[in-house]
Amino acid sequence: MLPRERQSTPATARLQLLAASCALLGSASSRAQEANAAPTESGVLQDWSVDSALAYYHEDGRVLAIEPIVNVSKVYPHGQLLNLNATFDSLSGSSPNGALTSRVAQTFASPSGKPAHAYTTAPGELPVDPHYSDTRIAFGGSWTTPFTRVDQVTVGAKLSDEHDFFSATVDASIAHDFNEKNTTLSFGVNDEFDSLSPIGGAPVPGSDYALADKTGGKTKDGVGALLGVTQVMTRTWLSEFNLSVDRFKGYLNDPYKITSIVDSAGNTTGYVYENRPDQRTRKSAYWENRVTWNSPISTALSLRYMSDDWGVRSDTAQLHLRWTMANRDRYIEPTIRWYRQTAADFYTPYLMGGDKPMTGYESSDSRLGPFHALTFGLKYAQKLAGVAGRSNSEFSVRAEFYKQTFDESAPTPGALQGLDLYPALEAVLVQVGWRF
Amino acid sequence: MRNNCAKFWRNNDFKQKDATVNCKPMRLLLLLSAAIIAGGCSSLGVKPWQRDVLARDEMRLDANPLDAAIDDHLYFSKEASSGGRSFAGGGCGCN
Repeated sequence: MLPRERQSTPATARLQLLAASCALLGSASSRAQEANAAPTESGVLQDWSVDSALAYYHEDGRVLAIEPIVNVSKVYPHGQLLNLNATFDSLSGSSPNGALTSRVAQTFASPSGKPAHAYTTAPGELPVDPHYSDTRIAFGGSWTTPFTRVDQVTVGAKLSDEHDFFSATVDASIAHDFNEKNTTLSFGVNDEFDSLSPIGGAPVPGSDYALADKTGGKTKDGVGALLGVTQVMTRTWLSEFNLSVDRFKGYLNDPYKITSIVDSAGNTTGYVYENRPDQRTRKSAYWENRVTWNSPISTALSLRYMSDDWGVRSDTAQLHLRWTMANRDRYIEPTIRWYRQTAADFYTPYLMGGDKPMTGYESSDSRLGPFHALTFGLKYAQKLAGVAGRSNSEFSVRAEFYKQTFDESAPTPGALQGLDLYPALEAVLVQVGWRF
Repeated sequence: MRNNCAKFWRNNDFKQKDATVNCKPMRLLLLLSAAIIAGGCSSLGVKPWQRDVLARDEMRLDANPLDAAIDDHLYFSKEASSGGRSFAGGGCGCN
């Protein structure tokens, strides 16, 4: 994998070219400036490349999110690259609590335990907590520096804070170019520490929901490693292959998810908090190919296989097709993504009677269930001249439609037959972007 | 009975201390793959003056980093998988 930060954006490339041109012009340029001082660009960001976006995300009948994000970077004279970014998320709406749809109305306490936030789900409806609300602010940065002509190292850090979650991550990677810089071998490691302080406390895994047996904050931490190779195949074909592994330990439950207990007739008799293992190891292989087919058409195809020791296996394929037009001043980029995953070993949509889960663990979180998903997207980007004092900038807008369809095949108890127990998830993403 | 190394890898049983796990075929396969890749890579590639197309924006692996970041956040919060292109993990409490 090529570290993302090491590659120049168009704006930084322009700055580098400008710097090189100035060096070549030398003293003649200086004398010319003395004689005829030309106005220069000013402002705190004049040496920086800026990439920004505002995303609007809406799930049908569920969560709504707004996410502004900005990324600034600067190339220093000896090739070092500083990258800083900030993200803000605002989420609100309804989130499934994990309970099963029922023939009768179901009433749930809010995680905070406040009576005013208790909610009732109508018969035949998927139980969702309608008071879901959260904000997140995150900052990240990285510093890349070459230490030989063909080697460079990158170090980075990221902090993310929500009112019930805090995360800190550090990472480091090294990259080595060889074969006339046609091949890059890279290796990186990261370490993540998360602190959870759920509203109302962290439930004891597997405990009775009615007892609200909760404790204080919890933590989890993880380490990961990634080995990658990037290869220039031909003049129009670039390939990347990565192998990665990560291992998390600690409180890996979603503290707001519960599982329904149903009797043999399909009537809900109670709920328990989910109970996931406290360790998880994931491994993945990722392969991406970028090809320019002719002057206006290029594609980026990526394939990923992932497996973990929870029993989840997933396949992902994504294709971007870019059609560049009008002297490369604008482009259209349709996208399609296909995803499929198997269920975790302990996934169950419900628990039958007083039976203990066979694996000792249980979760009805649909994100650990079997499903497939499709994403269709379209992006339009237009280069603009003379905006914000820059000779060139790019405005873009894109939209995506995401649909998740459940592949559950568990037997349905009598009273539940005819109900839509696994409703599809549909979401729309709209994003505007501006880079200069 | 000797366990198969591929099965060992597939089952993620890192805590297993079974001396009978036979990883020799896997090691040979990895070495062979590395040799093929190293040999193959040396005959691939272009000369510096042939990088005109590769220098285009759309040929960069991080051509749209913010699009990728926003998509990764979406998929991390809705699916059981993350990472691959870069490090996994999300830095958010959404999963």
